[in-house]
Parts: sequence; C-alpha cells; structure tokens
Amino acid sequence: MAEALYQLNNLSKRYTRGKESITIFSDLTMTIDKGDFIAIMGPSGSGKTTLLNQLGGIDSSSSGEVLFEGSRIDNLSQSRLAKWRAANVGFIFQFYNLMPTLTAAQNVELPLLLTNLSGKERKRRVATALGIVKIADRSGHRPRQLSGGQQQRVAIARAIVADPKVLLCDEPTGDLDRTTADEVLQTLQLLNNELGKTIVMVTHDPSAAKYARRELHLDKGRFLEAEAELA
Amino acid sequence: MNDATLIRKSLFRNKTRAILLVLSIMTAFLIFSVLGAFSRALNSGVETAAADRLVTLNAINFTLTMPYAYWGRVDQVEGVQAVTHASWFGGYYQEPRNFVQSFAVDMESYFQVYPELVPIEGDMETLLARNDCAAIGQDLLQQYEWTPGQRIPLTSNIWSKPDGSRVWDVELCLVFDAEDQDVPTNYMMLQYDYYNESLAFNRDQIGWMILTTGDPAINDQVGRDIDALFTNSPAETETSTEAAFGQAFLEQLGNIGLILTLVIGAAFATILMIVGTTMVMAINERTKEVAVMKTLGFSPPRIFTHVLSESVLLSLLGGLIGLGLAALLLVGVSGALAGQFPGLRMTPTIIGQAVALMILFGLVTGLLPAINAMRTNIVTALGKD
Amino acid sequence: MLKQIGAVTMINLRSIPQRWGMSLATVLSVALVVGVLLGFLAMANGFRATVDGSGADDVAVFLRAGSQAELNSGLGRDSVRLIEAGPGIAADAAGDPVLSAELYVIVDGIKRSSGTEANLPLRGVGPDASALREGFTMIEGRMFAPGSSELVVGEGVIRQFEGFDMGQTVRLGSNEWRVVGVFSTGGSVFDSEIWADVGTIQNLYQRTGTVQSVRARLTSPEALAGLQAYVADEPRLDLDVTSEREFFASSAGGTSDIIMFLGWPLAVIMAIGALAGAWNAMYASVDARTREIATLRAIGFSGFPAFVGTMVESLMLAAIGGLLGAGATYLIFDGVSASTLGGGFTQIVFSFAVTPTALVSGVVLALIVGAAGGFFPAIRAARVPILKAQG
Repeated sequence: MAEALYQLNNLSKRYTRGKESITIFSDLTMTIDKGDFIAIMGPSGSGKTTLLNQLGGIDSSSSGEVLFEGSRIDNLSQSRLAKWRAANVGFIFQFYNLMPTLTAAQNVELPLLLTNLSGKERKRRVATALGIVKIADRSGHRPRQLSGGQQQRVAIARAIVADPKVLLCDEPTGDLDRTTADEVLQTLQLLNNELGKTIVMVTHDPSAAKYARRELHLDKGRFLEAEAELA
Repeated sequence: MNDATLIRKSLFRNKTRAILLVLSIMTAFLIFSVLGAFSRALNSGVETAAADRLVTLNAINFTLTMPYAYWGRVDQVEGVQAVTHASWFGGYYQEPRNFVQSFAVDMESYFQVYPELVPIEGDMETLLARNDCAAIGQDLLQQYEWTPGQRIPLTSNIWSKPDGSRVWDVELCLVFDAEDQDVPTNYMMLQYDYYNESLAFNRDQIGWMILTTGDPAINDQVGRDIDALFTNSPAETETSTEAAFGQAFLEQLGNIGLILTLVIGAAFATILMIVGTTMVMAINERTKEVAVMKTLGFSPPRIFTHVLSESVLLSLLGGLIGLGLAALLLVGVSGALAGQFPGLRMTPTIIGQAVALMILFGLVTGLLPAINAMRTNIVTALGKD
Repeated sequence: MLKQIGAVTMINLRSIPQRWGMSLATVLSVALVVGVLLGFLAMANGFRATVDGSGADDVAVFLRAGSQAELNSGLGRDSVRLIEAGPGIAADAAGDPVLSAELYVIVDGIKRSSGTEANLPLRGVGPDASALREGFTMIEGRMFAPGSSELVVGEGVIRQFEGFDMGQTVRLGSNEWRVVGVFSTGGSVFDSEIWADVGTIQNLYQRTGTVQSVRARLTSPEALAGLQAYVADEPRLDLDVTSEREFFASSAGGTSDIIMFLGWPLAVIMAIGALAGAWNAMYASVDARTREIATLRAIGFSGFPAFVGTMVESLMLAAIGGLLGAGATYLIFDGVSASTLGGGFTQIVFSFAVTPTALVSGVVLALIVGAAGGFFPAIRAARVPILKAQG
C-alpha cells in the first residue's frame, strides 16, 4: 500500500461575486500517494487550477481540510505556508514565469536562496538541475533569449532544484509545439520514475495526460475517474 | 547570486527610469548638503566663540566709538584675565572694491585674548619692532596673493590724516593662522598707535573691547561690573559673550533658518512625490513576478524587506552622488567666498545627517510599494494577463 | 494631419487621470520649483524696489569724498555753508536753499517678529528734510519741534519694530525721546528710519558741528553737473556729489545680488530634479499607451501626431504646475513685509514683490521643464511600431 502524500477531506471552494455565489467544487475528497503521477483534466471552469492551488497552499478553501503527510496545511499562516512550499513544492506554469532580469542559472538558483546552503553548494545544485533537464549550455542566457521549450525546461529545473516532494504543474505544455511538449513530458516522467517525485499535472490535452499514471476528470466540481495506462 | 543581487537587478530593471530617479534624488541631496554647509559656515562665528570671551561695545550701537581710556579701566576689573581693543579701519586696497577687512588693535593683548591665532610667519618681536608692522591672516594673504614682508598701502574709507590723505602704509610683518578651519583668518590688524597718531579726527577712541574671564561662570558678573563702570557716562557700554554677539548679528540678516528649511523642504517634497509614485507604479508592474516569488516560497516579510531595500538602495545611490557633488562644489567655491563664509566645507556632521536622511527617505518611499508587494494575492496576480 | 494630431492629443490628455499619481507628482513638483524661484525673485525685487524707489533724480547727496556710505562720511559747518552757496540748488518761498544737513547714528530696536535686537537708523535732519523726500506725508501726529527730544518714525519702523508707537516714550542709549508723529514716504527706504532734530543728535552723540551728509533739492536733474563742477573747483570742499537715485542704486545692489545669486542656482537645480521626474512620468505615460499608439499606427496615423500628443501632455502638466506655483507664491508672498540688513548696517524694511515679469519667468521655467521632460518620450512615442497581427 503506497503512502499517502496528500489527503483532501470534504474540500469546498466558493466565490461570491456581488450577490452571486459560485461554487467551484464542494465536498471533494481524494488521496494522492507518494510517487504518483496524476493528470487532472476537465473543461475550463471545472476548477482544476483551483484544486492545484489548494494543493500548493497558494489559495485557501471555503471549507474542508488539506492534509500533507498527515498534517493540515490549510490552516497555516502565510509565512508558514511559504516555508512549507519552499521545502516541499515545485511549481511549473503554462507561461514559465521566469524572472526576466535573471539568467537561466540565476532563475534556477532562486529557490535555493531560501535555504542555508553556501554559494558553492548552491551552484552545484543548480548545475545538477540544469543537467537533468539538459539545458546546461544555456545557463547564462536570459529568458528572452530562449525558446518556449527551453524556458519551460529552465522552469522545471527551478522547480526541482530544492528537491521538493511534489511538483504541481498547471498546463505545462499548453504553450509548446508537439515535439517540445513531448520532450517536456518525458522529462516529467523521468522525474517521477527515477527520482520518485510525486507529480500533479493539470492539462486539457489528452495526449499529455497519457504520460501520467492516473487520469482524473473534473467536471462541475466532481471527479469522474478513468484509469490510464502507463506511458 | 544572493538577495543583494536580486535587489540590484530589480532596481535597474528599467535603466532609464532608474537613472532619472537617481538624478532627481541627487538634486535634492545636493541642495541639502550645500545649503547645510552654508548654514553651518554662517553659524560658525557662534560656534567658534570662546565660552569665556566677552565683547564690550558702545551700548547704543557697535558703530559708535568709546574713549581709549576705557581700556585701562576694564583691565582693572576683577575677573578680567586679559583685555584688548579693536577699531574698525574700513580698509581697501588701491580701489574701493578691493575690500580689506581691517582693524586697529593693540597687538600684544589681541593675541592673548585670541590664543587660537598662531603666527606662522614672523613673530611678536618682529611685529612690535616697528610701528607700521601689521599682522595679517592667512586667508586674506592668499586672497590678494601678497607675500610676508610685503609693504602695502591700506586706504580707509572712513578715517583721514590731517593732510587729507587716507592711506596708511603697512608692512606685513606677521602672518597668522588658526588650527580650527572655522576660525576666520580673512582680516588684518594694524597697530593702534600708528593709526591713532595720524588721525585727523576722532582720536583716542576705540571701537570695542574683547576680554577673557578665564571662567564662563563669572561671565555675567564681570560683564555687569564692566558696564557699571561706565553707566551715566556719554558712552555707556554693553558687555555680552562673544557667542551672543555673533548670534545677534546673524539675526539681523533675517530668518535665514526659516528660508533654508523651506527651500530644503520644498526640494524633498518634490522628490518624495516623484520617487514615491514611481516606486508604487514600478512594483505594480511586477505584481506577477512577486506572485511567482511567493509560490517559490518567499515569505511576505521577506518580500517586504526586498522592496524596501530597493528603495533604500536607490535613495543611497542618488543621495551619495549628490553628496559627492556638493563636496566638490564646496571645495570649488570656498576659496572665493572665504570672506563672507569662513570655513565653508563639508563636515562629518552634514554627511551623517545626509545619510540618515537618505535612509529615511528610502524607507518612506518604499513603504507603500513594499506593503503592496507583501500583500499580493498569488492567485489573482498569476491570473493577470 | 492636423486632425490626426488633434485626435491623438485628445487621447493623451484624456488618459491623464489613469496615471493620476505620477501626473499629480509632476504638476506639484513643477509648482514647487516655480514657487522657490518666484519666492527668491520676490525677495530680491521687493528689496530692490524699496531701495530704488528711494532715490530722487532732483535731489543731490553730498558725502565726504571716498566714503561711499553716510556712516563713513563727515562734513563740517564750513562745508555746509559752501554747499549752500552752490549753483543749481532750488530755493524755497523765502529764498533760502532747500537743503538738509543730516547725521545719523545707529540705535537698537526690538524686531516684532523675532523679539531680538536689530539696527535702526536714528537720523538727525534739518527742517527741510520732509521737502526733500518724495511722497512724504505725515500720517499721524506732527513733526518734531526743533531742538526738542521728540521723534517721528517711518511707518515701516512701526510695522517691524516694537516700542515706537505714537505717543510712546523711547529710551535710546541714555536719552529719552517721545514719538510725536508717524510718517510715510510711500514705501521707500526712509520708512525704515526714525528722525529727530539734527542739533539734538549732534549734542547727545557728541558730534557738535559735524554732519555726515547734505541733501539738497536741485532746480532740475540737469543741474547736478553744474553743482559737481562747482564742488570740484572749490579747493575747500572734498566731496562726492551724486543724485540720490544713483546713491541708492549703488548701495542696494549688494543685497539684491546676493539673493539672486542664491535664488537662481537653487531654482535651476530643483528644476533639474523636477525635470527628471517629468521625463520619468512621460516615459511611463508612453509605455502605458504603447498598444493604443501601435493600433493607431496600424490604422494609418503617422508617428508625428504621437510626438505632438506626448509633448502637449507634458507641456500641459508643466504649465498647470507653473501656474499653480506662481499663483500660490503670489497669494502667499506678495506684500509680505520683511526686513534685513541693508548697506548701511541698518535694517531695511521691504515687501516681497511678485512682479509680472517674475511670474512670466516662472511660467517659462515650467514650460522649459515640460518641453525638456517630454521630448525624448515623445520621440519614443513617435517610433512605436505599427501593431502587427498577433501570431
């Protein structure tokens, strides 16, 4: 029996816009095991990104609990959450979100500024991360000098450099062409298979979802499960 | 890379903007430093006044003279350590516009009362050897590029000799200077006898007396005793401390302090608005990046500190350049203005005040942007276009 | 083309509220710069106006040669008699020359504003003194009686100093005087003076027989030359003769110049600071509207309207700031009374004068800041590339 990394209990999220109350999802209960690679799919407005945000502690819920390794994270303060994120989570966004004024290597180094590692040690880790995503030769380039796929790889390197337990990906291949997308997804698989990273990936692309171990469909705030084969 | 690098890069993200802001801040601190130096130089007369030195003037006004005989009588007053006298000569060199600040004094007692004046060329012996020997301050000597031992014709625009001439020939027998840069050395003294003996009118009068008491605690008593000597005489006296006299003179110029404060205040209000609004705008531009930093795990307090550090760095950058320029400027003009503003220069106090102000300014302009950044809602910001 | 320019300019101006923070900062910073400049100009002009207005062309002033200031000068009784006999001096109804031999000493008065002591001139005058000051009127009381210890004071003295009100007894030095009248000369230097009988002053201050200056009314301004020649030819007279206007012109210059020497550089440096601010604000303005401008270009507008639009925006903000600063300075400072040390070591009371010329200088400075600040951003606006179809 795989160990549970995340446990969501009766999670609900509602927005009030003026007089209207919009429910994104209610009473969501699910478990994410360590080493899992889940693809969450669904039409736009289904709440998949919101769910991802809950997992990453960057959005709060209206009710319910989010447990990470057995302890609640939904009731932590902003500062505590920041600390928790730094130690445990790596984010990967659709539009990369790299710092335009920093080089690739400096971007990857950013999460390490939150640790107590020495400059030397930081450089070593950055090199390792860049090596894993195979973009070491471009470490001195700024984001605007890199292609979409290259930027995403730098973003992945940034996401793994602090050795987090989970990678949360929001449409990671949404802005890439087919070939580049495949490369990125293969990297994610590698991280899951060989380095044991738990990955939760939100996507609307069925072929991307195929790279995951499990597919979950979210529609109007509810799950419809479907098993996917191992890629 | 470290936090410092991050801050630096954020600041110079938009080079043009950073340069323009630095320029703005620089002008404000330039004004602050230069005006501060002028203000200090103006007040230096009061600062360098010796605590135990008193000045006795004609009670009606310092432009009126007193009988020479008063000098001997004041010397007898208990508590008076040493007393000298001085009279305004109203001198110029060759042409009226070549103003030379000059007095007729009793040399020996003068240097006793002003021990901070030290001979650097010649000595008291050579000075007193001849009647027409004069003592000249280093600044004045340099201003007119005279040499020690040179003979100069000094013309008075007030006094004249019986033959109608108003020129006294003097030799620059002694040059004096002071260790403290703020003590003025932009004047010269002739010997009283040499001046008095050849006066066509107003003989045996002196302008004012300066004396030391040796102990500030007895200043008041000695002052009163002196003035008591001359009550109900045609020339009543008023004795006050050197500092009080200097202060009173400054106040005649008007409320300089207020003017300076207003101008400096205006300069800072200007840049406060400019830099403040720009910083707020600049941080707003980066709201998505701030959100990403938060997702990476940078805590709100840390982000707050980053932004605040940016604005303090900006302020220090502009301020230090302004301070440096001010120092250069002051060095440039201090020679030319040594007459009215002795000791005009940059001092550690001004530098300290300026730096403190830079930091304060940085904190004030950075506060609102830092709060905004700290409070960025990750989800909303990430969702922005 | 004109229509294009008009359209773009309107878009620019309408968008100012969107960037109200920086626009306001620009306006206010220009206002402050103009305010500082005009403040100094008002001081200098006010001071100069008081002193300039004090000199008459048809009054000659006699001083001992080379003394340059009344305080330094000294003339004996004989000299005065010789002067009385000079050509070109106007005569009164009785046929006597209209002149006043004067002697002044400095006394201390307490300034109302600071409570501290400051120098005041106590001028001993002859009976014709009032006739020799243009615009002289007694606004309260009467003239002092000859030989008495009575005083009349100028209205500037009452404004700035304590203790000289009508009827008050004043102690100057060891002597007591009574104020019997207040006079006005319409804002000239003499309003800052206290007058008494010259004979009384001579006695009390032990100057029997000497005066410092003689003022005489000329039959016409041109008569001065003749009088100067007379004095030059007379070996017993060693005097400088100038018109009163010239006499004051030379003494006022100093203080006025110092004020301007400080004021202009200060204003210029502040203007540079405001300039950087305006420049910055304009760049932000252009950047914010890059998309709009690009779209307009795609429609067919050329770059020039964008240039003009930005320049107009910049000039307008600066102009508003300039007018604001000028208006505020005028309201706050014009007419404010002040006094400072004049040439003769006495206080000269003057009023800040915000003149039309000064106002113009202020607005011009504002416009220069606006133009310089908007120039490069305007060029950037003109160079915005045409919006391309997005891939």
